[in-house]
Order: sequence, then C-alpha cells, then structure tokens
Amino acid sequence: MEALFYVFSIIAVFSALMVITMKNPLTSALYLVLCFFAIAGFYVLLDMQFLAAMQVLVYAGAIMVLVVLVIMLLNLSKIKKIKTDLHQLFIAVIIFIILFAEIALYIINGSLKKPTGIYTHALINKIGNTQIIGEFLFTKYIFPFEVASILLLVAIIGAYLFAKKKY
Amino acid sequence: MLFWLIAEVIKILIVFAVLLLAAAYLTLLERKIAAKIQNRMGPMEAGFHGLLQPIADGIKLFFKEDVIPADADKFLFLLAPIIVVIPALATFAVIPFGAPINVLGHIVPLQITDVNIGILFILALSSLGIYGVVLGGWASNSKYSLLGGIRTAAQMISYEIPLVLSIIGIIMIAGDLSLANIVSEQSHIWFIVYQPVGFIIYLIASTAEMNRVPFDLGEAEGELVAGFHTEYSSMEFAFYFIGEYAQIVVNSAVIVTLFLGGWQGPFLPSVLWFLIKVFFVVLIYLWLRWTYPRLRYDELMDFGWKFLLPLALANIIVTGFIMILINK
Repeated sequence: MEALFYVFSIIAVFSALMVITMKNPLTSALYLVLCFFAIAGFYVLLDMQFLAAMQVLVYAGAIMVLVVLVIMLLNLSKIKKIKTDLHQLFIAVIIFIILFAEIALYIINGSLKKPTGIYTHALINKIGNTQIIGEFLFTKYIFPFEVASILLLVAIIGAYLFAKKKY
Repeated sequence: MLFWLIAEVIKILIVFAVLLLAAAYLTLLERKIAAKIQNRMGPMEAGFHGLLQPIADGIKLFFKEDVIPADADKFLFLLAPIIVVIPALATFAVIPFGAPINVLGHIVPLQITDVNIGILFILALSSLGIYGVVLGGWASNSKYSLLGGIRTAAQMISYEIPLVLSIIGIIMIAGDLSLANIVSEQSHIWFIVYQPVGFIIYLIASTAEMNRVPFDLGEAEGELVAGFHTEYSSMEFAFYFIGEYAQIVVNSAVIVTLFLGGWQGPFLPSVLWFLIKVFFVVLIYLWLRWTYPRLRYDELMDFGWKFLLPLALANIIVTGFIMILINK
C-alpha cells in the first residue's frame, strides 16, 4: 500500500510539473488529466472509492473534455516568445513564499490525530462510503447541498443568457 | 492468496482474449447482418461463408503502410487510438459473467473484481473514451478530422447525461452500486420490467456514445470523408475498430447486467445464459445501425437535450414516487 502511495505521488507531482512547464496547451491539459487520475488513486488508497470514481467521472471525464474542446477550438498558435513582466515575477515570488510557509507550518505543527467522529474505518467499509456520503448530504448538510445546486442552476441560466445575446 | 492470484490472472486472460476475439468477429457478424438486411450474401470468400474474414482483415491491416500526416502531432496521433481501446477493455473488469464456481474447494466468483462502486466505475471509464476520438481528430491536423472530432465531442457530452440518469432508477431499486448485488437482486424479476423507459434511454444513449448510426455524426461519410479517423491507416485504424466493437460488447454486457438479469437463467449454465443475452443485445445494436438513416446535427442535439434528458429526469421522479407509494 505504501509503495502505491509513492507511485501515485510521483505521478501526481510529475504531471503537475508538466502542466505548468509544457508549451503546448493541449499537452498541459492532458497532463492535468493524468494528475486527476493520480489523485483518484489516493482516494482509493484512503478507502474512498466513491470520491475516486467521481474524481474521474467529473473532472477527467467531463470538465477536462470541455477544456480540451475549448483549446482545440481556440486554435492557439505556438507561443513564439514568452513575455516576462517584472510585476508577474514579483507577485509570483510573494505567492511562492506564502504557499511555502503554509506547507512548512503544516509539516511542523502537523501530527497524527486520531479520528474524532463515530465513523471508524471498519464501519465505513461495512456500510459503504457511498451510502454514508449520501446520508450526510441529505440530512446534516442538506442546506449547503441545495444552495450549491441552485448556484449551479443560476450558472447554467447565466451562461445561456450570455450565449443567447449574440444573435 | 496464491490461489486467488492465479485465479485472477486466468480470469483476466480469458476475458481479454474473449473480448478481442468477439470484437474481431463482430465485424463479420455486422457485415453478415447488413447483407441479410440488404438481401445480399456478405463476405463469402475467406473460409466457409467468410468465417476467416476477420483474420484476413487483421493480417491485411497489420501489414499495411503506416501513414502519419506530416503536420500531425505524432505522439497524440499514436496515443489516441490506444485511449479508445483501453477504457472499453477495462470496463469489463467489474461485470459479473457467471455464477460463482467451486474450484478445488475455493469459491471463485466469475467476475474479475467486485468493486462496491461498480456502476460508477463503468460510467467513469466510458466517459474517457471520448478523449481518443477528440484527440485523434485534433492530432491529425486535417479539417475533416477536426470537424468530426468536435462534433463527436459535443454529441458524446450531450448523450452522456441521459445515459447516466437512465441508470439512477436501477440504483434506486437495487439500493446498491455493486454489480454482483444488482444481479442477485434480479433473481426473481428482471429490472427491465420495473425500468422499461430507463432501458430504452440507455439503449439510445449508448448507441450515441459509441458513435454508431443513426448517431455517427462524427464520421458522416457523406460530409466528412471518414470523420475523426480520416487520416488513420494500418493498425491505428484497426485500433479504432477494435475499440468500437469492444464497446458494443461491453455496452451489451452492461445492459444485460443492469436490465436483463445478468447471468441468471434456468437450466443452462450461467456463463452460457450471459453469452446468449449479450448476443441478443448485440443483435439489437447491429439491427439499429442498418435500419435507421443518420440524423441531422440539429435533430441530434434537439433529441438529446429536449427529449431524452427530460424523459430520463421524469423516469427518476416517477420511480421515486412509486417506490414511496408501495413503501419499498
């Protein structure tokens, strides 16, 4: 199991690096798909098969297909010279320092914590993680769940209106 | 542990070999059925009634010159046909194809692995096949291929939604995502009796997902030469075909598992029942192809979004109401 964790980590980090270093946007997008697969692998290792399937189904299978489609339609020509801007560099350094400090803080303060809820590993495997997620979504977290669905509906109608205005 | 490992490897090899062989021989079956429908004989030369035709085709395609267009993105061009085949073959990992058998005192389930999210696994993999088509169309660097790829992408995204929604009725009735449990739930009555609308929606939407006539807008010969695989030749071309026919087998197997009681049936061995049922669903797919003309693009989109999607949603609501009424 631990060996698999390292395999997935290496794939995830490598593909994430390739996403930001590749010149061709389509290749970057495909490396992002690979990265999502590696993350789905982590979910499987954590016994969260439902999340893993959703990660592949929603991110790799739906969202990234749309991203790839848009890149294909935009017909981006090869970037001849990358414009570098001093402001960009400045902002990037600040963000890097903040992120790095965050990671360092987590590593220093983080220690193994015991799970606090009633759902232990054995119980989750017995009931099935899909059932538990479903139960929580429709009881305890029903309000955020419904708000999120209304938000998505508004986004769909908004996109439709913007597209309709043109003709 | 060792016994389990050997059993798994043997099961994987058998499934792999049978799937590839079935994909090859489906090309012959399709040509024979087309010939029957059009009152012809079909392939007759290679072997008895053309029985060796798939093998002859395979050898021919293998030795053909492999042409890669000069401006193509070589890596993606070669990767795309492989992406079509792998999800189609991998889907079969969760489909139960027979009752558990007893080998040397061990109970071996005739299913490569029983994942507790079986249906989601199938849906997740089937949503990946689209990459092969889209990337193949883009990487060829030809306008016909690109148009075919973009059409197919839009079509597959549209029809994936009714496809997923049509299964939800089954999940609600079975109360489980594991395919082995769904099959055992159908020991008394097949789910097609409870979910006839879901069955029809799945049949139509899966035909569209496989880009077959009447939904083959991506490779419309009359307009786009051959659509997304215009520039492909040799084995890469063959891979697209293997992928398409493997998908037919896999989709038929999924329909059998979800709606037609899986491997269950009286008298005959369970594996034989499974094969018979799959064969009949495959026949329906082939029959559809040679009966209907191709839809126009706007008809295709209207049908998907304005008819199938509301119908699938209505199916879920009606199923829910009935389940509450009869207190299941």
